Amino acid sequence: MNELTPGVIIPLLLWGTLVGLDLVSVPQAMISRPLVAGTVAGWLVGDVHAGLRIGVVFELFALDVLPVGAVRYPDYGPATVAAVVVGAGFPWQLGMGLSVALGLVLALLGGWTLQLVRRSNARAIQRRAAALAAGESSAIRRLQYGGLLRDAARGLLLTLLGVVFALAIRERVHLDEQTHLALTLVAVGSALAAAANGAFRSSGRSARFKWLAAGAGAGVLLAVLT
Amino acid sequence: MLRLLAVQGTWNYERMLGVGMGYAAEPLLDDLKAVDPVRHGEAVARSVEFFNCNPYLAGLALGATARAEYEAVPGPQIVRLRTALCSPLGAMGDELFWAGLVPALVGAALIAVVLGAGWWAIVGLLVVYNGIRLWTSYWSLRLGLKSGMQVGSAIGTSWLPQAIERVGPAAAFSIGAAIPLVAAWYLRPFGWSAGLGAAGIAMAGIALTRWFAPFLSTVRFAVAAMIFLLILRRVGV
Repeated sequence: MNELTPGVIIPLLLWGTLVGLDLVSVPQAMISRPLVAGTVAGWLVGDVHAGLRIGVVFELFALDVLPVGAVRYPDYGPATVAAVVVGAGFPWQLGMGLSVALGLVLALLGGWTLQLVRRSNARAIQRRAAALAAGESSAIRRLQYGGLLRDAARGLLLTLLGVVFALAIRERVHLDEQTHLALTLVAVGSALAAAANGAFRSSGRSARFKWLAAGAGAGVLLAVLT
Repeated sequence: MLRLLAVQGTWNYERMLGVGMGYAAEPLLDDLKAVDPVRHGEAVARSVEFFNCNPYLAGLALGATARAEYEAVPGPQIVRLRTALCSPLGAMGDELFWAGLVPALVGAALIAVVLGAGWWAIVGLLVVYNGIRLWTSYWSLRLGLKSGMQVGSAIGTSWLPQAIERVGPAAAFSIGAAIPLVAAWYLRPFGWSAGLGAAGIAMAGIALTRWFAPFLSTVRFAVAAMIFLLILRRVGV
């Protein structure tokens, strides 16, 4: 693992900002998926393996979310980046529990900040309502760039807060090995519950449920064979 | 088309995608300024009104309304078209992407990670998803521009409804296969007893979050379970 110098932390903050922007604003290219965000964060801190392990567990949580319409959902991207900072450099069985604990709290906070940005966008639009009604293109551009800037600032601040807490946890929180292992098991169990919930909800009682069951059968078989 | 990538840049609860649509419409409506400046101003004002749909299919509405503006279709009719497109484009896009393609590809990527693909799984996910997504955005804008007010029937006869029917089962299969594989990947090193413990937590999580939904989400369940565990460990149980 790399030493957490400004040379590592600044790219992490930039990555967290991009990931925060990607969730809703631009470009929605799936870099905000925890699997991607975590693996790249792991690479930035010099522990791809930890990034991958932590990214997968948050990906399971993210599968419980359908980010449609005006639904409120946690923001797992910057949360995963910060979580990787906690877990990097440790065996994953020991580092994952605390990583996930921090990441989940940040994800909830991130979801709340999304609401703040949306309300702030609405206020900005109300202020320029007359210009919009008059069809002024410059007002549209200003609103759009303002919205993007607010969301970028949200991603940056969220990642910064996460990294600060991550560094504090690394330095100050010392648990015994059994507690670390138990936290990891709780994290994995909860993540599996989230993924299963999401899968059941999308499948309902339709024909899709049969495909889910068939997939689960194939997955169990493959797990036994590998 | 690049501006469509930021169509949710000013997302809010009042106009939703409205301002983002206006931003994306700006270059499309530019030529109207020379032809009919008054109409151009009205068209720009209409383009920022309330609109909501799946962002990947927004090009259909954008292209259709832009063409209608050039064809001098009466303003109220264009507003009605925009309103009428919200629900179907939202439902179809969400089914195709959020409930279909995303879980299908994420499930496949998770399986690939567990089987040792590492970075390739991530690269594959990004390349395939963005290839499909960009092509869909391009296609939707083109079809919208081509069909104008007839965009509804053009969507009905396109590949979209069939793709939605096919991607759902693929997503279910992919996620179904990924969950047990990922569970084994994490829990195998811990042995049977710990694995059963994690399975118990998963079952409790599924049951409790169903009973106490929507207040108790799986994230809240996980945080509460961790706090409970830390309290137990602190008092030495």
